[in-house]
Amino acid sequence: MNRIIKVARMQLINKWTFIGIPLLILGGAFIFTMAIFWLVRRAGGDEAVMYSGGAQAPMWYFLALGIQSLTLTFPFSLAMSVSRRTFYLGTVLLFGISALLLSTFYYLMGLVEQATGGWGLGGRFFALEWVADNNGFVQIMFYFVLMLLLFMIGFWIATIYMRWRTSGMLVFFVALAAILLGTVFYLTLGEKWGQFWAWAITWSAGGVVLWGGAVAILMAGASYLTLRKATA
Amino acid sequence: MIDDSKPIFMQIAELIESDIVSGVLAEESQVPSTNEFAAFYRINPATAAKGVNRLVENGLLYKKRGIGMFVAQGARHQLLEARRHQFHEQYIRPLTAEASKLGIGTQELITMIQTSAHTDVNGQGSVIND
Amino acid sequence: MTNAPAIQATNLSKNYKELTALDQVNLALEPNRIYGLLGRNGAGKTTLMSILTGQGFANQGTVKIFGHNPYEHDATLSRMCFIRESQKYPDDFRANQAFKAAALFYENWDEDLARELIEAFRLPVKRRIKKLSRGQLSAVGVIIGLASRAEITFFDEPYLGLDAVARQIFYDRLVEDFATHPRTIVLSSHLIDEVANLLEHVVVIDAGKIVIDEEAESLRGAAVTVTGNAEKVAEFIGSYPVLHRDALGSLASISIRTRLSQAERARAAELGLELSPVSLQQLVVRSAMGTEDNDTSDVNVEAMK
Repeated sequence: MNRIIKVARMQLINKWTFIGIPLLILGGAFIFTMAIFWLVRRAGGDEAVMYSGGAQAPMWYFLALGIQSLTLTFPFSLAMSVSRRTFYLGTVLLFGISALLLSTFYYLMGLVEQATGGWGLGGRFFALEWVADNNGFVQIMFYFVLMLLLFMIGFWIATIYMRWRTSGMLVFFVALAAILLGTVFYLTLGEKWGQFWAWAITWSAGGVVLWGGAVAILMAGASYLTLRKATA
Repeated sequence: MIDDSKPIFMQIAELIESDIVSGVLAEESQVPSTNEFAAFYRINPATAAKGVNRLVENGLLYKKRGIGMFVAQGARHQLLEARRHQFHEQYIRPLTAEASKLGIGTQELITMIQTSAHTDVNGQGSVIND
Repeated sequence: MTNAPAIQATNLSKNYKELTALDQVNLALEPNRIYGLLGRNGAGKTTLMSILTGQGFANQGTVKIFGHNPYEHDATLSRMCFIRESQKYPDDFRANQAFKAAALFYENWDEDLARELIEAFRLPVKRRIKKLSRGQLSAVGVIIGLASRAEITFFDEPYLGLDAVARQIFYDRLVEDFATHPRTIVLSSHLIDEVANLLEHVVVIDAGKIVIDEEAESLRGAAVTVTGNAEKVAEFIGSYPVLHRDALGSLASISIRTRLSQAERARAAELGLELSPVSLQQLVVRSAMGTEDNDTSDVNVEAMK
């Protein structure tokens, strides 16, 4: 059997990490949201539609998963005599498949949500309008790219840590802070915030997919190059 | 048992030789395998094999294909001959050296040997076994 | 199989900032033998092994495993097993999950052997690895190392935290399994006396340099300690290389690196000198430290015990 697949299987030895916890988070967020929707309706809330950002909860977990799947399983995979390339491909492949399955699940649940009139409560958990107005493919890709992007951010940060340890972290976060602060200063001093927000709302889900996908691929490449020389 | 005084393969060879001389390993009887020696003495199997092979080269042991290692006919006699030759170097020399250090004269030494040999023959102590 | 070396390292050097971890290391290890990689803590043993297994990087030099550079070469990597002394396991892993992973990657994995060892070491396989004691953690590494039956297996100070009984189990199983499944074993250790008899070849590393690279058998009995009257000892040892000197009044005890002939032994007896063998551990310590400063070498003997 191919060693890349074996890496994916190794990551799945503890099923809880890749499958159990995301489902638990999603299920928990869903039940919690529904409870709130129900309470609001009971209290006489009469907004036409209620929105919840609860569906993004598992996505943030992927950021943590990106970090965790690297810092802990990478040193172990070296001991299993797996090359860095194989480890990388196996881990990203596994994540890609899980993200695709979960994205499809989001899409399907969104359809159910719309068909049941927001679970009979007029609530929106999965099918947020801005996304749900697009065709099925764009919807699935939207979730997929977002998950992938978060995972790759976590993954890349973790590879930087594995390769350069604390000094790498320091440089990375100082650089990140400098870029963010620089942007804020530029927008504030140039009084360009209005322009910025005007620009931000022109984004479509499709645009997010394209640009997010491009950034995710860039991060994937950066992660790989960083990992090539990382040590346990 | 195994010590640091000389290569282990020599010690293994000597252990087997001693067993042949004392009759623990009779002629035509099977010798433990090198892996058994290795496991028993906790030594490297290749080292044990080297010790056994040395005895094969000297004609003391012979191989039966697929069965194992056996003590050759006449091995005990061959070893006894060799040990007689070594006897002077190994025992008499240090004995006389120690005797002269203690001021024991040659005549006195001979008498001591005679007395000792007498009791040994009456007892069951083996002169050869070391 | 050919007689090409299983492991060949040429001019390996590795620096950590100002520290030289490896200094022009040259090694050629043959297949199917048990090697001892001996040296003090921090001598460079782990660094060397991680470079040989493509896990670490050298600043200079080349490594060939069965003729291939192991770095990022799965076909070559999969023939080796190196569980480091401070091996990290996934946080949520239990011992049996680590074995399950090892069974995936090591083609020669022997599940029965793994089970036997688990029982022998009384390893609680359902406990999380991070909750295991130091000795149990070592046992996990030892079990993976032995049961993987990799063509080249490295054991990095495998006995840490193991009690005397468990250490003996490891040595016994190693000899037993090696006898039926010969492979290249590199046993890294600073407890030389315990492993001395298992070794076929000894490599001693000190401060990143190889100081001894010899057959274990040619080291055994290759040195002798002569004790007795100082003048007579001096007369007896002549110009043989001296490994170590001790003196107490008119009494001297000098270790020399030579194999004495029957005649020399007889002469020692005539001079009233006592001869005692120098153990592999003592020989290694003495050789590694040189004869210049006896005080520090004595400290080092203690450190290595």
